[in-house]
Amino acid sequence: MTTAAADAHELSFVRKYIFSTDHKIIGIQFLLMSLVFLFVGGLLAMLVRWQQGFPNEPIPGGGVLPETMAPGGILLPEFYNSLVTMHGTFMVFFAIMPLLVGVFGNYLIPLKIGAPDMAFPRLNMWSFWIAVPAGTLMLAGFFVEGGHAAAGWTSYAPLSAVSEYSGVSAGQKIWLLSIAILGLSSILGATNYITTVVNLRAPGMTWFRLPLSIWALFITAILVLLAIPILSGAAIMLFFDQTLGTHFFDATGGGQPLLWQHLFWYFGHPEVYILILPAMGMVSDIIANGSRKPVFGYHSMVYAIIAIAFLGWIVWGHHMFQSGMNPTLGTGFMISTLLIAVPSAIKVFNWMGTMWEGNLRFHVPMLHGIAFVTMFVIGGLSGIFMASTPVDIYIHDTYFIVAHIHYVLFGGSLFAIFGAVTFWYPKMFGRLMNPFWGKVHWALTFVFFNCTFFPMHTLGVYGHMRRIYDPTQYEFLKPLMGLNKFITISALLLFASQIIFVVNFVWGWFWGAKAGNNPWEDNGLEWTLPSPPAHGNFATVPIVHHGPYEFSAPGVTEDYLPQNHPPLQVGAGKEGR
Amino acid sequence: MTHAAAVMRSPAGRELGAGVYNEKLGIWVFLGSEVMFFTALIGSYIILRFANPGAFAHPGTVLNIPVTATNTFLLICSSVTMVKAFAAANMGDMAKMKLYLVATTLIGAAFVGVQIYEYTHLIHAGFLPSGIREGSELAELAAAGELGLGTADPAVAGVYGSSFYTMTGFHGFHVTCGVVCLAYLSINAFRGKYTQADHRGIEVVGLYWHFVDLVWIILFTIVYLV
Amino acid sequence: MTDTQGSQAAHDEHFAHPNYWLVWAALAVMTLVELGVAFLPWSRSVIVLTLVVLALWKALLVALYFMHLRFEQNRMRIFALAPLPLAVIIVIAVLTEFVW
Repeated sequence: MTTAAADAHELSFVRKYIFSTDHKIIGIQFLLMSLVFLFVGGLLAMLVRWQQGFPNEPIPGGGVLPETMAPGGILLPEFYNSLVTMHGTFMVFFAIMPLLVGVFGNYLIPLKIGAPDMAFPRLNMWSFWIAVPAGTLMLAGFFVEGGHAAAGWTSYAPLSAVSEYSGVSAGQKIWLLSIAILGLSSILGATNYITTVVNLRAPGMTWFRLPLSIWALFITAILVLLAIPILSGAAIMLFFDQTLGTHFFDATGGGQPLLWQHLFWYFGHPEVYILILPAMGMVSDIIANGSRKPVFGYHSMVYAIIAIAFLGWIVWGHHMFQSGMNPTLGTGFMISTLLIAVPSAIKVFNWMGTMWEGNLRFHVPMLHGIAFVTMFVIGGLSGIFMASTPVDIYIHDTYFIVAHIHYVLFGGSLFAIFGAVTFWYPKMFGRLMNPFWGKVHWALTFVFFNCTFFPMHTLGVYGHMRRIYDPTQYEFLKPLMGLNKFITISALLLFASQIIFVVNFVWGWFWGAKAGNNPWEDNGLEWTLPSPPAHGNFATVPIVHHGPYEFSAPGVTEDYLPQNHPPLQVGAGKEGR
Repeated sequence: MTHAAAVMRSPAGRELGAGVYNEKLGIWVFLGSEVMFFTALIGSYIILRFANPGAFAHPGTVLNIPVTATNTFLLICSSVTMVKAFAAANMGDMAKMKLYLVATTLIGAAFVGVQIYEYTHLIHAGFLPSGIREGSELAELAAAGELGLGTADPAVAGVYGSSFYTMTGFHGFHVTCGVVCLAYLSINAFRGKYTQADHRGIEVVGLYWHFVDLVWIILFTIVYLV
Repeated sequence: MTDTQGSQAAHDEHFAHPNYWLVWAALAVMTLVELGVAFLPWSRSVIVLTLVVLALWKALLVALYFMHLRFEQNRMRIFALAPLPLAVIIVIAVLTEFVW
């Protein structure tokens, strides 16, 4: 097997940067694509929030929207339904998932395991270039007759199956096709990641020397591999209901509407673990780095990730407590859902243990990591409430659920993403983002995030339903409009604060301080390489002698020790795990 | 340790992973996703069948069992020729490998052909994805109670057509992709691309092909015979 | 460069090949048996159970002999078996909506 892939032949610009098979370039391609969709998702959220805070008032600048969407700048109810649907869809499928799995899976896995690239570099290229038309198609759905899909990101049948019910026809079909195409991209990617982590680890990189980011990405890839095809199958059946007149989910033809919910959530619950596990893994790496200490309880962290992935398959019914499903089944789901809090809690305590008496460095990634842990705890606690069926019967489909979702996905995943982007930015681009503005962005985001989403718990408990167009049509919700306005203003400020991140990202690319190999003084194999690394990564195959978190190790002058550092000479003989 | 042997095993100079070469691990991993995909389709069929047993006709009344039994036999034959091609390559008999590869390709193509024939006949008789077509030959049989439907109303039989065409259709699509791959393998084989030392493509496509056969074995039983 | 796959060498250079024609014959015969069973005057549940068992047995033969799982390491068998419990869970769980 050759060691360095020193490409003697010159690749054209197109082969090098457009149709690249280099995992680092593909990772950056996913990054740029996902950031665009993150922006789109955020913009849609602003429109949703405007309607909730100031119902039936014209949106400032809303005149640009066509008559079919917002005549006179006032959102139509049908358009509002598609807004909430597409906000969820873009954020889940085209922003968070590709940011965590497409970007960091691609960028980090080969580097951190000591491999020259993925096991199947060309397949990797296909993964990206299949995702692009999926995203483009999803955007196109806004411009078809009848508008975009409007049955929620969960697309429940029969609303989503029968055009007459929602008034949406082409939009829903586009949604389904786009999801199916994206699913193929994800499955190919998962195949690649799993094969790479299993077979391409450098000598000495045993399973229990893998960084937690890689463990998390590996387990996530297994979840993607096995959960996404369920969605693909279900989406195909729904598509046929829409186009071929089949009756899978349509009771009049002998179909079962509840079947859609079961299939969707059988995919959907593992999906939410797909959306959090990589974040957890990367936060572990970042917190260890910022604490200059090994991760507390590394082995239990690994087992917790595996336990969360396992248990994640048998909790899906907690999304369906109100659906009319078999109540005994519901009880089973309540128990399993309460159980799954345990491994997550273990992880939280271990992050705290990692920081405890550490030589703390509050760099920007560390700040985001700490925000992740604290916000995830809040999101997890609201999850405990929802796990209990009697409580959920009251708060299901209210803003309490919306609060929970956003605490784990924004407070959790997105903070982790901001931290991870900042942390690995120098490796990707050879320059550092500005730390001062990074801290300003972090602080503003943290404050406005909590102002936006914490009050939603209150809204939910008061009975404010989700996905409704005009809260003021209900007498009992009118007293909540003050809170709704507060949330909307906070959301607008939250969205505006992200400009700082975008500017910092672009500024850093051209004018950021040049980064050496290891600006964060970290142990991962990627930090032994130039920033950015050359094609083929390692000139010679690295030999790994240490675990990933040898910070402040006794007998070592520096407070960090790269994984491929030669074995320590000192007599104690302990070279890490 | 020859380079030849090394190619068909794990990548050298790495931690011991799965103990097999990348492409073989990759195809097994990918087949895991295919199991889940067919679970969604076939699982839904099983569920819908329990939910609404009256919507499904008695075996042999709508679907043509003799034709599809023959097709099942064909696919089983193609599976044995596939593994014989791999075994031949493994033993160094490249001539036999080519023969068996071509045989597998042709039999696979025949399967697809028979399935198209089956579909056209069914559609002509009035069996559609949306159910039984009004005024068709099958609709009359249904009304006369000949099909064993729990209800005389053909509209309720909608879910029968839906699940039948989706499952067998996607299976057929997978077979077609397999035939294309096999054709590509056959062409490569005649160009001398495979050797006893390195015939990874044969094994990888073979595993996919056997999986497709395996799914059909299950489909044939629970869709046609039950 | 250490060779970490030494034990693999013996296995792969003499790849075990069972009698594939025998397996083919078994599959063909079992298919005929299924055709027979489907139309016997037995009770419905017995027929369905027998057919399902036969189908699974045939599938197992293909997996073990044609896909070589019989001769692979345990590791590979785990990869192959891993999705199966998940397939069972969703079907059984949703069936309880209709069969309980």
